[in-house]
Amino acid sequence: MIDRLLNIDRRIIFVFVFIGVAVPLLLDFNLPVKITPSSQAMYDRIEQVAAEGEGIVLLSFSYGPSTVPEIQPMVLSILRHCFSHDLKVVAICLWPDAVGLAQQALETVSAEYGKEYGADYAFMGYKPGGAIVIVNMGQDLHSAYPQDNWGKASSELEVTSNIHSLRDFDFVIDFAAGNSVDHWWVPYGQEKYKFPLGAGCTAVVAPDLKPYQNSGQLVGMLGGLAGAAEYEKLVGQPGSATAAMTSQSSTHLILIAFIVLGNAMYFISRRSARSQ
Amino acid sequence: MLFLRRTLPMILAFVTGIIGISIYYVPHSSAQGLEEVLARWLRIVYAFAFFLGLFSLLNLHWRRVRARQAGWGYSLIVYLSFGLMIFFVLYNDGTGPFSPQARAGGYQWLFLNVQVPCGATMFSILAFFISSAAYRTFRARTPEAAILLVAAVIVMLGRVPVGAYIHDFFPAAAQWLMDVPNMAAKRGILLGVSLGIVATSLRIIFGIERSYLGGGEE
Amino acid sequence: MNRDKILFLAVVLLFALVNGYLLAAGELPADWTGVGVIVAAGLTLALYSFLYKDNPLFKFAEHVYVGIAAAYTFGQVWFPTLYGELLRPIFTDDPEVAATASVWLLVPTVLGILMLTRFSSRFGWLSRISFAYYVGLGAGLAIPRYISANVLAQMAPSLQPLSFSWEGLTLVLVMVGVVSVLIYFFFSVEHTGAVGVVSKVGIWFLMVSFGASFGYTIMGRLSLLIGRVQFLLDDWLHLM
Repeated sequence: MIDRLLNIDRRIIFVFVFIGVAVPLLLDFNLPVKITPSSQAMYDRIEQVAAEGEGIVLLSFSYGPSTVPEIQPMVLSILRHCFSHDLKVVAICLWPDAVGLAQQALETVSAEYGKEYGADYAFMGYKPGGAIVIVNMGQDLHSAYPQDNWGKASSELEVTSNIHSLRDFDFVIDFAAGNSVDHWWVPYGQEKYKFPLGAGCTAVVAPDLKPYQNSGQLVGMLGGLAGAAEYEKLVGQPGSATAAMTSQSSTHLILIAFIVLGNAMYFISRRSARSQ
Repeated sequence: MLFLRRTLPMILAFVTGIIGISIYYVPHSSAQGLEEVLARWLRIVYAFAFFLGLFSLLNLHWRRVRARQAGWGYSLIVYLSFGLMIFFVLYNDGTGPFSPQARAGGYQWLFLNVQVPCGATMFSILAFFISSAAYRTFRARTPEAAILLVAAVIVMLGRVPVGAYIHDFFPAAAQWLMDVPNMAAKRGILLGVSLGIVATSLRIIFGIERSYLGGGEE
Repeated sequence: MNRDKILFLAVVLLFALVNGYLLAAGELPADWTGVGVIVAAGLTLALYSFLYKDNPLFKFAEHVYVGIAAAYTFGQVWFPTLYGELLRPIFTDDPEVAATASVWLLVPTVLGILMLTRFSSRFGWLSRISFAYYVGLGAGLAIPRYISANVLAQMAPSLQPLSFSWEGLTLVLVMVGVVSVLIYFFFSVEHTGAVGVVSKVGIWFLMVSFGASFGYTIMGRLSLLIGRVQFLLDDWLHLM
C-alpha cells in the first residue's frame, strides 16, 4: 500500500496542484498580504523621489514572456506609483523579449493617468549587450540610445533631452528574470555611478540578491509574485498578484502536505524494511 | 599567416583588456570618452553575434528536413513560423523594413498572442514537475537534507498570506532565514564566484585561456 | 481508433465548441483581439497536453514558439541597432538622427561582419579578430568592477564593529557563515580537523540557503502556473 502511494502516477499529483490553483481563483477571496521591509524600501524610495519634486525614474526591463505572471504585475504597480506622483519615466530593455511587454505596460498605465509620450515618459527600446549597454549609458545616455524605440532622436524628447548619463536618474529599477541585477546593474552601473538601484525580480532570483540589499547596493527588492502583491497593497491598487496569493497559499499547503506525506511514508517503509 | 590567425587576436585581446582595466581608473575625460566609444562599438558587434545563433538554429532544422530525420515535419514548422513572423517584421505594419519599428501590426500581435502564451506556459509546466519531484524525491535522509527541507518549508509558509494567518512565527522566521544564514551563504558564494571571474578574465587577457579563438586550423 | 486518438479528437471538438459558444455569447469579441485570445488559449492547452503524454500537438506548439521567437529577436536587433544606428542616420532627412552618424561606426560594422565568417571553413579565422575584441574588452571591463562591487563592497558590511546586541550577534553569525562557506569551497586543503569542523558549519549554512532557494523556486514556478490559469479562467473563459 505504502509502495503504491510512494509510486503513485504523477498525473494524480498534477490534478491536485491544478485544483489547488484553480479553486481559490474561482472562489475569489483574499487573505491579507504582509509587507516585507524590502518592498517597503522600494515604495519609500519612490515616495522620497516624489517629495523632492521633478523626479525621473529609469525602468529596465530584463525579462521575457516566461516570467510575465510574476513580473508584469509589479511593473504595472510601479508605473502607477510613478505616474500618480507625476514622476517622469524612461524605459529601456536589456532583453529582446521584453520590448512588447514593456510597450504594453507603458501604454496601459499611461492611458490610465493621461500621460503624454515624450513629455511624461519615453520608451527607448532594446539594445544588445547587457552590461555593455549599462557602461555606455553610464558615460552618455544618448550614445547608448540615440533614438527611442519609434525612431525619434532621444535629444528631441522632452523627457530625455536633459539626461546626460545614469547619474541623472533619481531611481533605477531593474525588472529581472535572470542575473541582470547582480551581474550587470550592480557591478557595471551602481558601483561606479552610485545611483539608487532597486530590483523587481522573480522568486528564483530573489535569494541571490540579499547580499546586495545588506551592503546597501540595492535600495530594495520586490521578490516574485508575493513582492508584486505587497506593492499592489502599498499603492492601494490590488490586481492580479493580490488575486493570485490565495492560490499561492493553497498550493504551498498542498505541496508541504505532499512533502510531509512522502517523508512519513518513506520513514515508515524504511522502518518496516529494517524490522523484516 | 600564424601571426594573423593566432598572434594578432591574442595581442588584440591583451590590448583591449588592458585598456578596459585602465580606463576604469583614469578619470580624465579622454579616457571616459574612449570607454564610451569602445562600449558603443562592442554593443554593435553584439548585435551581429545574434546571427550566429540564428544561423545555428536554422541550420540544425534544415539538416533535419534534408535528411528526413524522425520528426523532420516539426523542423518544417519552425521554418514556416519563422517565415510568418519575418514577413510581419519586414512588412512593419505597411512601412517596410527601412523605417523605424511600428507600434502595432502583425508583429506585435504574434508576439502577444503566440510568443507570450507559449513562453509563459512552457515554464509554468515546471510547477507540475517540481510538485511531483517534491513528493517523490525530497527526503530528509541526512541531517543536512533535513535542514534544507525545514528551511524550504518555513520559507514556503512565511512568504504567503496563509503563513501569517497560521502564526506570526512563519513570516518572521522566513525573513530571518533570508536575511541572515541565506545571505551569509550567498555572500560566500558571491565572493568565490567573483574572484573566479576575475581570475578567468586575467587568464583571457594574458593569453593563457584561448578557447575563445575556437578550434580549427591555426 | 485507439484511446489517445479518441481523447485528442474529443479535446479538439470541445475546444471548438467552447470557443463557438464564447464568440456567440459575446464573451469574446469577433475581431483580431478575440482571435488572439483563442490562439493563445489553444497554444496554452496544447503545451499543457504534455502533462498527459508527449504528443504531436505539444510538439507543434513548441516548434511554432521556436520559430516565432527567433524571428521576433531578429526584429529587435534589426530595427533599433542594425537599421537604427548604422543605416538610418546615413539616409534620413531628420537632422537630429543624421547627427548620430559617424564614419567610425564602420569599425564595429566590419568587426560584426567578420564575426559571421565563423561558419566558413576557409575564412573562419577572420572571426577571431572580432572575438578577441569582444572577449578581451569584456574581460578588461569586468575585472575592476567585479573587484569593487562584488568583493570589496561585499566584504565591508561583514567587517563592522561588534556589539553586545541582537545586531552584534547577527553580525557574528553572518561572519561565521561567510567564512565557513568560503572554507568549504576551498578544496586545496583536506577537510579534516579544524578545517573539517568549519567546513561542516559551512555546509549547514549552504543547506539553509539552498532550502530557502528551493522554497522560492517552488513559489516562482507556482506563480507562473497561477498566471496561466488566471488567463484561461479570466481572459478566455470569463469565469472569474
